[in-house]
Amino acid sequence: MMPAVRIVGILSFALAVGCAGVKEAPPSVMAQSAPLIIDPLPVERNDDGAVAAPPPTPPAKSRSTAKAAPPPVKVPAKASAPPPAVEQPRKHEDPPPVAKKLEPPLDVSALKARLRDTNAIGVFTKLALKNQVDDLLQQFRAHYQSGQKTSVASLRQPYDMLVLKVLALLQDSDPSLARTISGSREAIWGILADPDKFNAVA
Amino acid sequence: MITRARATALIFPLATLFAGPSPAAEDAALLKDLTSVILLLGMPCGQVVSAKRQADNDHIASCKNGNRYRVFVNAEGRVVAQKL
Repeated sequence: MMPAVRIVGILSFALAVGCAGVKEAPPSVMAQSAPLIIDPLPVERNDDGAVAAPPPTPPAKSRSTAKAAPPPVKVPAKASAPPPAVEQPRKHEDPPPVAKKLEPPLDVSALKARLRDTNAIGVFTKLALKNQVDDLLQQFRAHYQSGQKTSVASLRQPYDMLVLKVLALLQDSDPSLARTISGSREAIWGILADPDKFNAVA
Repeated sequence: MITRARATALIFPLATLFAGPSPAAEDAALLKDLTSVILLLGMPCGQVVSAKRQADNDHIASCKNGNRYRVFVNAEGRVVAQKL
């Protein structure tokens, strides 16, 4: 009987110690989960506009008791801060696109010059492109000289086709020029579609 | 010193010899140019795999799909791809 009592006593002690260890573990997990709740995450999510992250954090911090006291203090402060913080990163992200948009749109003559100067396409291709650009300009010229008061919308499709051909030729070898031409597509069309501007250019 | 002088004497002429673009590079550029111009003119080709120069601005291009074109600049200054 005595060995059995001893064994039971040892087992119960081991169980108690184990449970005590388990009880201690959750706080450490909670302590880890508190940093894992990660204040930056809500901020980043706020950047995306998602507001789902903040609600789960308060209950977790309320469970973390006094040890997690510093984080809760920070969280509300950051929770109140996010709106201005959200606007600031967007402002930081905006400038690069604005800088890209600042590239001046090309006109017809500038387009010809850029295509002439680029090394992305060979001599035959440049000459063929020049032929096709001249053909299109001739179509515009004929349209305006014919005195038709209809719009030049019928020439929009060949114009778009030619631009697409140029972009296809340049996109791999000279992506910056391709980007510039792509961004100048409407500006160039605006020149071609306006008889006065077209006559000034041609 | 003699060895170094010999090496220098060899290196400079060789460097000068190979400084320009290699014929292979020029060929690759020409094949790419011919491929682009044939496609630009709306001809089926895929890719030009070989070209034979006949005259200035006049080449016979052989395409990957088996088609052959004479690509040249005519008297009016237009690039023409004539199927053979």
